[in-house]
Amino acid sequence: MTNTARYSILFFSVGMIVISFIIGWAAKKKAINPQSFFGGTALFGPVTVGLSTVSAVASAFAVVGVPGLIYGTGNTMNLWMLSSCAFAMAYIAIGKKIRAMAEIYPIASLGDISDIRFDRHRGIKALLSVILFLGAIAYLASQISASSTLFAHLLGLNPYVAGFIIFGILTVYTALSGEVGGILTQAFQGLVMIVAGLIMVFSFLIMTGGFANVVQVVSTAGEVAATVEGQELAKAFSPKMMDAWGVLPGSIAMTWMFIPILGTMGQPQVLTRIYALKDPRDMPKLAAYAGLGHFVIGLFALTMGYGALYLVGNGLVAPLANNDTAIFAVADYVGGFSQMFVYAAILAASMSTASMFLTLSSNIISRDLPSAFGVNLTADNQIKISRITTFVIGICAIFFALASGEAVAILGTFGWGTLMSATFPVFILGLTWKGASSQGVFSGLAVALSLNIVSLILNNRGFRWPGGLPWYVNVITAAIVVTVVVSLFTKGSSDENLDPRVDAVIDL
Amino acid sequence: MIDMKDRKTLLVLLITACWIIITLSGWFGYWFFGLCLSVVLMLLHMMMGAAQNGKLSKKMLLYPLGSWTVLWLAGFYIAEYYSQAFMGVMPSFTILGFHPSFGAIVIAYWIGGMLTLTAGLILYASEWLSEDSWDAFKAKIEALNQEHPNV
Repeated sequence: MTNTARYSILFFSVGMIVISFIIGWAAKKKAINPQSFFGGTALFGPVTVGLSTVSAVASAFAVVGVPGLIYGTGNTMNLWMLSSCAFAMAYIAIGKKIRAMAEIYPIASLGDISDIRFDRHRGIKALLSVILFLGAIAYLASQISASSTLFAHLLGLNPYVAGFIIFGILTVYTALSGEVGGILTQAFQGLVMIVAGLIMVFSFLIMTGGFANVVQVVSTAGEVAATVEGQELAKAFSPKMMDAWGVLPGSIAMTWMFIPILGTMGQPQVLTRIYALKDPRDMPKLAAYAGLGHFVIGLFALTMGYGALYLVGNGLVAPLANNDTAIFAVADYVGGFSQMFVYAAILAASMSTASMFLTLSSNIISRDLPSAFGVNLTADNQIKISRITTFVIGICAIFFALASGEAVAILGTFGWGTLMSATFPVFILGLTWKGASSQGVFSGLAVALSLNIVSLILNNRGFRWPGGLPWYVNVITAAIVVTVVVSLFTKGSSDENLDPRVDAVIDL
Repeated sequence: MIDMKDRKTLLVLLITACWIIITLSGWFGYWFFGLCLSVVLMLLHMMMGAAQNGKLSKKMLLYPLGSWTVLWLAGFYIAEYYSQAFMGVMPSFTILGFHPSFGAIVIAYWIGGMLTLTAGLILYASEWLSEDSWDAFKAKIEALNQEHPNV
């Protein structure tokens, strides 16, 4: 990489961090009560919420890991990445119920919704908080680890210095402005990702001449080998990589189609943004903006994976030693300002996801978990304690992410599926079915927490589930089955025992 | 309008059955069946959420929900058909430049799915949440809050 490119990336990255800080600083005057500080509740229009939702959903993995998987295994991963209809589906299925809960109580967190639906059942709130915290810390640590290492390597810095510059500043503005600043900065970062994505899609089309040329190269290249710095590198191509399912087992293709789509309605990044929307009647517009934003980011990831396949298959670039460098291989080959936009997209993706999960985890520690154990604080104290907690979690997460590489990798097992296993019993079933009882949901969450931990251990010991099915499908299914079966035989907070306001929400 | 109030428990049982069968399909190699069944699972979730005041609009069931279901099932069938037809060889034609199997995914699953559900939600927004329903809901909550002030 040339020094000009390096300085461009540095200039653009510093600019983005400074603008994010200014937005966060300016937003702190809006964070005046727990609803705005913890939830940004009913404050924003569909454009802001749409951009914020998309940027929080699309983590650094979407920009770096997905092109790497497409380079490695073909189109299987595209089934996950092309899930742009998931927002409309999520809003149809659960949107108005979540938003309506904010009308019956000053909602500030997912824990508040659980409290109202299940008559302040402490066990449900505690288990929900623990599972969400595990997923949130896993996401947060992986964003910090990946981004700090990448920018440290690029700019010749110590990873701790890079980590503290990027995520230290993020921690400060998040602590000051809470979720209000989080949503606004994520909207800005989402816009950066979309602009960078469009530029890179355009670069891909000029570079390859279109998708048909990629299909031809991948279908006919066979095996390509090269020696790079004394290392033998090879890449096997096959026509199967280009069909709908790619070269991974069919059970993976099945999972990577339905889990991202259904999972979108169970992600905190989506659920918390629903109640941030000012007018619920704007939700159809929100579906359009979020869907379009996701469409561009999906196309961006697809073209970067296809671009790497085209370059290696044509012998223009040597086979990659590490699949995760696919996007950089394309950016380096295109040259010019493309590297700047790729790094900007990665930084935007990691910052937006990190700030979302930083506020989620600090809200859980400072607000939801204490209240689950009967500790209730005044509004002012909640905000003060949350600011301190955000700061402490942010700093600890930077140290943890950079000092415990192996632990971060193990914890990385938790993610999308873990969050789904907690939110499906409480919100997806709880807010659409009056029969979901507190005993049923508590049992479902207990099973979800236990099986997530068991699966973490088994997964790291190399255990394979039957058919190669990803572990989280089994966990989600078990949690749903237990929730429904126990609910059929118990009555707590269900049917005639429902609060009439919650009853009205479910009927809405 | 289809009355959903008495059918929701049945739908939840169907949802649960779908999750179990999809998981078992993945275990025992019937992944394509599981993939198609997951479309039914998504439809059931949307039917649960789309009902307004306990009633599901037939219009909404037909479009976007029903149309989306048919579009996705057709897309997956075509994707699998061309995957088998061009197994191990370069396809003799492309769709939008993609392998015809993946082209079906791009058109039906990605673009078609997003357009159908998003446009359907915008066009039939009032079948999902009408102004009257929202205003009536807010009035009901206000009255209930006065009647039972402690939530």
